[in-house]
Amino acid sequence: MSSNIVINASRLTLSYGHTDIIKDASFSVKKGEFVFITGPSGSGKSTLLKSLYGQIKPTAGNLMVGGLDMINIPRSKLQGLRTHLGIVFQDYKLINEWTVAKNVVLPLIIAGYSMDVQQTQAKRLLKHVKLSDHINKYPLELSGGEQQRVGVARAMSKNPFLILADEPTGNLDDYSSNVIWDLMENACGQLETTVLVVTHRIPSIFSIPYRHFIIENKGVYEVH
Amino acid sequence: MKFIKNHLTFIFPMMAILLGVEFFLVFDRTTNNYEKNLREGYSMFIVATEPISLEDFIELDSHINQSEEVKKEKLAKQIAKGMSKSSTQKILDALPHFYNIKFDSYLHTSTLEHIKAYLEADDRIKRVETFGSSYGASYTLFSFIKFTFKAFVIFMSLVSFFLVIKQMEIWSYAHKERMQVMETFGAPVMLRSGVLFKVAFIDGIISTVLTSSMFLFLKYRWAEESHIDILLQMQDLLFQPIDFLILLATALFIVFVSVYLVVFSTKE
Repeated sequence: MSSNIVINASRLTLSYGHTDIIKDASFSVKKGEFVFITGPSGSGKSTLLKSLYGQIKPTAGNLMVGGLDMINIPRSKLQGLRTHLGIVFQDYKLINEWTVAKNVVLPLIIAGYSMDVQQTQAKRLLKHVKLSDHINKYPLELSGGEQQRVGVARAMSKNPFLILADEPTGNLDDYSSNVIWDLMENACGQLETTVLVVTHRIPSIFSIPYRHFIIENKGVYEVH
Repeated sequence: MKFIKNHLTFIFPMMAILLGVEFFLVFDRTTNNYEKNLREGYSMFIVATEPISLEDFIELDSHINQSEEVKKEKLAKQIAKGMSKSSTQKILDALPHFYNIKFDSYLHTSTLEHIKAYLEADDRIKRVETFGSSYGASYTLFSFIKFTFKAFVIFMSLVSFFLVIKQMEIWSYAHKERMQVMETFGAPVMLRSGVLFKVAFIDGIISTVLTSSMFLFLKYRWAEESHIDILLQMQDLLFQPIDFLILLATALFIVFVSVYLVVFSTKE
């Protein structure tokens, strides 16, 4: 496998109990690519995404993420891999008892960075997502769109090699959605981070090239 | 209100355990004192044909730690009342040697019987007298009280420990989302459960301070105001500075074990 390939799935099967959700899917994603995965509700988009950060183990086939075999990955290596990923959730999953700044630097806290680095990075990222005025607020004091911007800032805080986003604009209005897509485009276009987004709908205006996969009948197919 | 309730449901069982530990310490100190008195008040009376030194007695049984020869001059004088001085000397020479021996610990009656039999088997010893019945009754009662108290403390501590674990599970559930988010970003177990450690450590320290305060109150206020002789005599044994450290160490140990059990028993 080329070192340029970030995700490589080969005859991948994902199941819940005895029910296959994804079956015999093969695809790969290269470094710096922006990928959309779409499909109807319940088609297995989120399941596929969860398998990429090790929340679900494949039942058959092969899945490599960042050069690591996700089927036989030991717990410690999985933890290590997750510290190099940026994950964005539809329901934001911010820690409500923590300030916005602390939420943003969660990956840095986990990696053991000093307070100085954390503070500098929090200020820089919150400026980037236009939330500098909210640095000491708590997530519940923000709107949905603002919370998701915090989520995106958190995902980008440790310069991950791969950002995984699960319906990042699913709960947002058009204005907030556009802000989120801009941030994602920037992450990919300027920082060369690979971005994989699971969504119902690809935004109509998107300024960087992207690949599009669709999940249908348990298979993953590329749309050209 | 919910916040206070949340903490009290941890602090109360923790205090129950710490009270048990402190009662145990106080009980142990006071009974050690009592045990010492019983031990010192008990002796065996030995009649021997020739002088026996303490070393000889220790050689016969290592539990013996004191021997005292009974002066027989007074006894000889009483027997030889009205007789000549030479007769007194003859009686004195004819009398055997009498010893009172004491032991290093509070021994079971069966051990005492064993020691008695061993001493009687020695050629130099003619007779051994014990005070079996009263000693046996004291020993049985003392041992029974000690056993039931320890059993009660252990039982109470076990029940309280399960309550502590239950509360920890509730906290773990309350912080489940936060812990899951941290796990998703690759946080190790110790960092994820940091919030549980923090809350539990604070409550553990509060429980220790409250328990110590209760005993300090008992020692300096209640014991003095009660005018009960035995309490005043034992006042020093009620709470000692080292107890605070023992209680704190116990509380922190329980916190560590309970967090560890809850965190590692939860499936990811």
